[in-house]
Amino acid sequence: MISISQVSKQYKGAPRAALEGISLEIDKGEFVFLVGASGSGKSSLMRMILREDIPSSGSIHVLGENLIGIPNRRVPHFRRKLGVVFQDFRLLPNKTAAQNVAFSLEVIGKSKGFIAEAVPDVLRLVGLEDKANSLPSELSGGEQQRIALARAIVNKPAILLADEPTGNLDPATSMDIMALLDRINLSGTTIVMATHDRGIVDRGQKRVIELSQGKIIRDARGASYGESE
Amino acid sequence: MRFSFVFSEMGIAIKRNLSMVISVILVTFISLTFVGTAGLLQQQIGSMKTYWYDKAQVAIYLCTKTSPAEICPQGEASKDVQVTVTERLKSTTLAPYIDKYYFENHAQAYKTFQKEFKDNSVAKYVTPEQLNETFWVNLKDPNQAPIIIESFNGLSGVEEVKDQRTYLDQIFSILNIASLAALSIAALMLFSAVLLISTTIRLSAVMRRREIGIMRLVGASNFYIQLPFILEGVVAGVIGSLLAGGAILGIVQVFVQGFLAKQLPFTSFVGIPDALALLPLLVLAGGGLAAIAAAAAIRRYLRV
Repeated sequence: MISISQVSKQYKGAPRAALEGISLEIDKGEFVFLVGASGSGKSSLMRMILREDIPSSGSIHVLGENLIGIPNRRVPHFRRKLGVVFQDFRLLPNKTAAQNVAFSLEVIGKSKGFIAEAVPDVLRLVGLEDKANSLPSELSGGEQQRIALARAIVNKPAILLADEPTGNLDPATSMDIMALLDRINLSGTTIVMATHDRGIVDRGQKRVIELSQGKIIRDARGASYGESE
Repeated sequence: MRFSFVFSEMGIAIKRNLSMVISVILVTFISLTFVGTAGLLQQQIGSMKTYWYDKAQVAIYLCTKTSPAEICPQGEASKDVQVTVTERLKSTTLAPYIDKYYFENHAQAYKTFQKEFKDNSVAKYVTPEQLNETFWVNLKDPNQAPIIIESFNGLSGVEEVKDQRTYLDQIFSILNIASLAALSIAALMLFSAVLLISTTIRLSAVMRRREIGIMRLVGASNFYIQLPFILEGVVAGVIGSLLAGGAILGIVQVFVQGFLAKQLPFTSFVGIPDALALLPLLVLAGGGLAAIAAAAAIRRYLRV
């Protein structure tokens, strides 16, 4: 599903490599926590998986695509098989919840009919069918993140990348989001989640990959956040 | 591909960026008006050239009593001079170049002069003797005038041999300079239009960077992301060129046909059909230039 081998990334002018000799395999249906201090390389790694960036050396295969050799014009089609959520939700402020979700389908050319069915379905899945016509500014942080999740999964991606999805949320709301992610994972979607939240990782008892200074220092299943930090 | 979506995105982009879009429209409008004017001016020069060059004659002016003594020492040209000229015009060396010629004596020249300068006080003071007797020569090919000039220049009794086209060439060179000036202004304006379009499109892209970011994340194709921006430029360019087309139609209708054609009734001027023929070219130029400028701008801004 995700296969990374000896990946290094050196940004121009940076004193040390952002990633150094990273190798890992993530299988279908896994739920992986990516932990580590700020600057440890979590976000760089996520960017590589999304093909927003290309490693300086090494190889990355995601969903059968070789991300080093993939031509630029095929990148958009590759990204349609991935869903992404961020700490800052990234919703369009002038569109309603339903329009935000629909937007992601419109821009990949889905038919009106498909959108009319898929959007209410996914809003129901995240429990916000009654907030379909609310603007993001009228929603709480947790609700906004659920809309962002709905947008990420409406196209039924095989992999969901979550970059600190609970970073801006209080503990109770974070629990709701985690429950939702668990449900999405149970339906077969592979989830890679970068997080700083020790409580969430410890409660999850899932596979934990810990990065430090661009290197993997721990890759353990059923693990806790760890001693560092 | 859903065009309704692309067009609504384009509409949003234009609304947000309206003042820039209007400036693009105005700059394209003005620059293409200059382009069109230069084009019409060239057509005008072309049609006047064919019209007048065909009518242009070579005049062989014979000496009169009042001709300057250093050219015509023997004063008024004698009948012999007329005979010599006629013989030469009929000779096998010159005849092949000549379409027709005719002789105008003092009385005829006076009549023509009185007619042409009817309203001018000079007509009162001119006597028939002051006007040259003239051989008017029409050539088969007006470009061969130098042959006639060579043959008769310096012949005793001939005051001057003049190709009428030299008068026309002055007028045409003035018109040519005017159309070149219009073209250079147009080139400058078009250059600024291209810069303005790329700035506008980049500004539009910056204003919509959230949308663009999300579109890229969810896997919208580059074409789909770029199309609304390119269309935004094209719409502005096409509106500008349509305005330019309208302005040119207006100039032709009001100024050329309404004013010039009435002032100079024996000259053929460019008309509405010429301007209409120019219109699609202007629209193509405006739209095409805007599309290229917008595509280049957005391509540099949006990498995968």
